[in-house]
Amino acid sequence: MNNIPLVIRREYVTRVRKKSFWILTLIVPILLALVYAIPIYLALAPIEKTVVMVVDESGVFGGLDRDDEGRSDSRFNSTDEIEYRYAATLDYARRELDSDDGVTAIVYIRSRASEALPTDACLYYKRDLPPQQVRSDVDRQLQRTLRNRLLQAHGISDDEYAMITGTKINLRTQDLETGREAFTEVKTVLGLVLALLIYMAIFMFGSQVMRGVVEEKSNRIVEVIICSVKPFHLMMGKVIGIALVGLTQFMLWVLLTGVAVVGIQLSNSDIFSNATAKHEITEIATKGNEATLQLQNSADMADVPQLVEGIASIDFGVIVPVFFFFFVFGYLLYATLFAAAGAMSDTDTDTSIFSLPVTIPLLAVILLMPAMLEAPSGTLSQVLSIIPFTSPVAMMMRVPFGVPLWELWLSMALLIIAFPLCTWLAAKIYRTSILRYNILAKFRKK
Amino acid sequence: MFLEVRNIEKSFGNFKALEDVSFGVREGSVFGLLGPNGAGKTTMIRIINRIIRADRGELLLSGKPITDEMVRSIGYLPEERGLYKKMRVGEQAIYLAQLKGLSRYEATSRLRFWFDKFEITDWWNRPVEQLSKGMQQKVQFIVTVLHEPHLLIFDEPFSGFDPVNATLLKNEILELRRKGATIILSTHNMASVEELCDDIALINSSHVVLSGSVNEIRRSYSRNLFEVVVDNGEVMQISPSRDEGANELLAELMKNHRIVSFKEILPSMNDIFVEKVLGKEAKQ
Repeated sequence: MNNIPLVIRREYVTRVRKKSFWILTLIVPILLALVYAIPIYLALAPIEKTVVMVVDESGVFGGLDRDDEGRSDSRFNSTDEIEYRYAATLDYARRELDSDDGVTAIVYIRSRASEALPTDACLYYKRDLPPQQVRSDVDRQLQRTLRNRLLQAHGISDDEYAMITGTKINLRTQDLETGREAFTEVKTVLGLVLALLIYMAIFMFGSQVMRGVVEEKSNRIVEVIICSVKPFHLMMGKVIGIALVGLTQFMLWVLLTGVAVVGIQLSNSDIFSNATAKHEITEIATKGNEATLQLQNSADMADVPQLVEGIASIDFGVIVPVFFFFFVFGYLLYATLFAAAGAMSDTDTDTSIFSLPVTIPLLAVILLMPAMLEAPSGTLSQVLSIIPFTSPVAMMMRVPFGVPLWELWLSMALLIIAFPLCTWLAAKIYRTSILRYNILAKFRKK
Repeated sequence: MFLEVRNIEKSFGNFKALEDVSFGVREGSVFGLLGPNGAGKTTMIRIINRIIRADRGELLLSGKPITDEMVRSIGYLPEERGLYKKMRVGEQAIYLAQLKGLSRYEATSRLRFWFDKFEITDWWNRPVEQLSKGMQQKVQFIVTVLHEPHLLIFDEPFSGFDPVNATLLKNEILELRRKGATIILSTHNMASVEELCDDIALINSSHVVLSGSVNEIRRSYSRNLFEVVVDNGEVMQISPSRDEGANELLAELMKNHRIVSFKEILPSMNDIFVEKVLGKEAKQ
């Protein structure tokens, strides 16, 4: 008499029907989409037309010219979004900033003591920090004017300058075999997110198993069910049912997040095609092709944020299946132990004591995470990502950086082997504890 | 014998829960499994249900050793019983019936019948937590008998029942027997033992200390005491002297009184229970 399918069905249906399941299912993709979209919007969204006052006491930037015509190549050039307006004194500029809503900042270049070129400029603002574009445009224009001054002073033509700057060495951190760039920051963040996601998933669904077991026990419904369902079947039914709930939730998360991300990409298609193009060009370039020319072209796309390029460089085709594998088996490994901890508890409060030994390996990995991030392929990372109890979290942290295949297979194989052993132990504890009460009190007496 | 329990032994660690326990349950009878708290009744019932295994001994149902498949034809109402609080009543009853091997369709139609009978149809779609304790007990009873088991085991069925529900339950038990089911009843309620049980086994400190038919046991504990009611309404309790029997006593009484009723006072199961359990303790 095998009632596992019935138990699985009940566990699944009662959970998926809950409102809390759907709320969580919707909230996570929305949050992820926001995390993805906000930095891009902040970096690239067009700004409103704004006015910046220029107070140039040095005269290097055309501030001391008698008429507005002056030498245009040294003056600030207004763009579509930013209008530069010259003012003779800082006081006047400040009054403008106070009275005119359109004025967002003042560029102030102090007067020079000698003939030396100015080394300091200040961007004053009131209350609200000027947008990123304003700050970088001011910076760019300052550097450009100063550079032109120096080039002229030393008699270097623009062509010569371009040649000199074009020969700089570009240092990339890159995988020897695949030719892929490291994008260490992006991968660190991704590894951290994936590891925490696995950790939270194991904890969340594992403790759902535990609470489910305690509920059955404290309700005494287990007494009724246990004569129609073998304890092992009841435990496995619950573990598998909740695993399916977890998988459903993750699939929905991936799907909904994917839809949201694609939506964001389509509505900003120009930005993203730039990002992908730049990534492809740099990949070709690093493989030693005649792409130096293209590389120079790619400098035009310097606006593309590193983040976007980094994301485009990550191999999601590997990460997603690996994530699902480690989620499923990591969960299975822990869920049976959580079930055993639940079987020993009479009430929800007991569980915190019995589940402590179960959670220690998980907590240990989280605590060791900073050390692992220092060296994602170091000994500590290797060991932790192979031991079955720590591997789900540790391996997910490493995967974005690329893991040697043999390590991945070994880790997976050990996890698959550990699962039945763990289940055997958990089932033994579960079977002997599920109909006994006051186990905690007996422990304390001893 | 429908169910035969032979020389069952069970230990938990150093604690002997059952020692050499044997009894038989006749087909179509109500069998009382009695004993003080902690005597080993629930352990015995769990062994019959194959929830736990005996260390030694044999269990025969209709002459064959009990298998897991046969356990399906047992209806078991445990002493500590509960329901999933958040689940809807009907859904939960269907689930529990399916676990017993009924199809969804069969379970639903049988449940409709029982819910109507117990007048709880309106509660079909409510979550269990909204039900009163009495109603939950009705649901539990229904789920126990729904798959029409041949053997029913009720562990302390009356505990927590109000008198109305207790009466309802008693009548249902008797009706089940009329329909041919065999029933094992574990209870502290000695009045209900006299009312319902044909045979009993009394377990005390892991041993069967008394077993047999209720009538025979009570008769064997006869204290040779008679209650006489005479026409002026006077009630007397008289024991005949050693050498004379009930007939001689009655003849003696008839000389002086007009007899309205004359009957032997048998000790109640309650008295026997207390005597047997305390007697055992006194010996130790």
